[in-house]
Amino acid sequence: MNLLELKHKNRQEVADFLGAKERDMLSERFATLGLPNKKSEEYRYFDVEKLLEKEYKTLNYIPKTPEVSDKIVIVDGVVTAVPKGMRVYYEACEQIDMNHFDPLYYLGHLLCPQTIKIELDGDVEVEIEHRYTQSDSLINYRIVLYNQANRHATVYENFICEDIENTLVLYGYDMHIAQDSTLRVVKMQYMQDNHYAMIASHKVNVAKNANAILKSFDLGGDQALQLLKVELLEHAHVDAGHLLYLNADSKRGTVSQIVHVGEHSTSKQEAKNILDGEARGIFDALIRVEHSAKYTKAEQNSKSILLHDKAYMASKPQLEIYIDELEASHGATTGQLDPKQLFYLQSRGISYVEARKMLVIAFANTLIEEVKDTRQQERIKSAFEAVFYKSHE
Amino acid sequence: MSNTVMKIENLQAKIGDKQILKGLNLELEAGKVHAIMGPNGAGKSTLSKALVGHYDIEVLGGDITYKGKSIVEMEPEERALEGIFLSFQHPVEIPGVNNAYFLRTALNAKRKHEGKEELNAAEFLREMKKHLEMLGMKSDMISRSLNEGFSGGEKKRNEILQMLILEPEVIILDEIDSGLDIDALRAVSEGINKMKDGKRTFLVITHYSRILDYIEPDYIHVLKDGKVIKTAGPELVAQLEEHGYDAIEEE
Repeated sequence: MNLLELKHKNRQEVADFLGAKERDMLSERFATLGLPNKKSEEYRYFDVEKLLEKEYKTLNYIPKTPEVSDKIVIVDGVVTAVPKGMRVYYEACEQIDMNHFDPLYYLGHLLCPQTIKIELDGDVEVEIEHRYTQSDSLINYRIVLYNQANRHATVYENFICEDIENTLVLYGYDMHIAQDSTLRVVKMQYMQDNHYAMIASHKVNVAKNANAILKSFDLGGDQALQLLKVELLEHAHVDAGHLLYLNADSKRGTVSQIVHVGEHSTSKQEAKNILDGEARGIFDALIRVEHSAKYTKAEQNSKSILLHDKAYMASKPQLEIYIDELEASHGATTGQLDPKQLFYLQSRGISYVEARKMLVIAFANTLIEEVKDTRQQERIKSAFEAVFYKSHE
Repeated sequence: MSNTVMKIENLQAKIGDKQILKGLNLELEAGKVHAIMGPNGAGKSTLSKALVGHYDIEVLGGDITYKGKSIVEMEPEERALEGIFLSFQHPVEIPGVNNAYFLRTALNAKRKHEGKEELNAAEFLREMKKHLEMLGMKSDMISRSLNEGFSGGEKKRNEILQMLILEPEVIILDEIDSGLDIDALRAVSEGINKMKDGKRTFLVITHYSRILDYIEPDYIHVLKDGKVIKTAGPELVAQLEEHGYDAIEEE
């Protein structure tokens, strides 16, 4: 399949090309937004056309009876393992956001008539492992995640790949965070050596009095973009944290829209970006406060450290506000490692490389230490060190 | 001078475009306390920075030898591992770097350099405890970020703690008494005096003679306009107190 063939197609042509004849509204929405290119606002800093123009092999998504495991394992878009008693099944997605900003959100849905539905019961903690094994392929799947009201669930997401190449992964979540509940999602993605590229397009609905805690740790190289839309109802809260630590010539980051719909909703979004080599980091984030969202509190911040003179950070925090009764702030800074701090550590016998590592980790630590599970925290730290030493080989 | 541990010969150095050290000569005798005194702008802090290889300093000429070996081309960490320690006038704050982790990393770098086995976290904490008590430091200070939010006195105590742990051979104290109240000064001096074992060498850089009431010097060197203009015994302190730096003639 060559996705570039979807360029400039109308609703009917999109539906015909994708064999999605009964999904007119999605085809219409996708055709209206159009296949993204370098002029598309949300993909301005990411070379999406290069990924879309390749010829990919399409895969057959044949559901299997999953094995019992301590985690959910999804191999090339098919669930192969599930913890005992957990409800994970395939179903058509009923609640698709018809106002998402990302055309590939709709393309993802059009390509996946059946989504993986995960129901989180009670105060559960679960790991989702995404595994990719196919080269030259388009791997597309979507996940619908529900939790229960008044419960506090945690999802850890990890990504593993075999020695593959030239694969594009299109995936994403539709999350429904129930009233008075908390859902914490911690994503750790270490990519290196261009095995695969990824575009992840998510929608998160946060119900009344609910909390969404979304932390992403994007480390290493390669090409990947997460596009995130969060909608907050009355007294809902989102705490989003994004850590980027990139090397080589990678292009990765977050494009997000946090939409305050309900009164007294609150949001905090913090990005920390460390860029080495010729890497490009992306933080293109909008907080929109609707007319209905009186007494909103919104806070957005991006801090970047450039470790190399060819590294580049595209930081674009934005506020779009339609009311007067709110508290909102945003900002972005970009700098380098402090030579005074570096010298202080060296003056105590710590090598230049080790001192740099300590300072880079120190910068990221506020986000890493928020991950309470020791095993997951260690996983992030060791990936972090791998990125560091790769740049200092 | 017999038993010289460090020799500075005709040292010329600049910061930016300004030459600060203009042919400075100084010998440090092993096991002795040398005090460097001088007016503002004489080059005291520049000298201390030059000795530890600070990035601000460009050495234009002359040499610094430590145990007979030139150190001018050595990296700051190499000088530290060889046993040269600077207690900073204004220790930098490093948010996110845990103090205990920093201290253990520094100690283990030294131990590795000396061919000794590295200490694990438990062994290290046992080692630390006695020093903390002696310096009157709260135990939570080592679990906090390095120098972050520390008072002036706490920062100086933390410098002395590092000195006690790393056991350097040449210790440079840059304005160690600045910003300290009497209690802090006493605790810091106690830590320094504990290290005076007749083998370690101290270079105390100071503006005022107050610290010399607590750390008794063997030699006083007066620094003026980038050169040492006079070297004498501790009796010179009283003369400086009475007549000031202007009264000192170059020898």
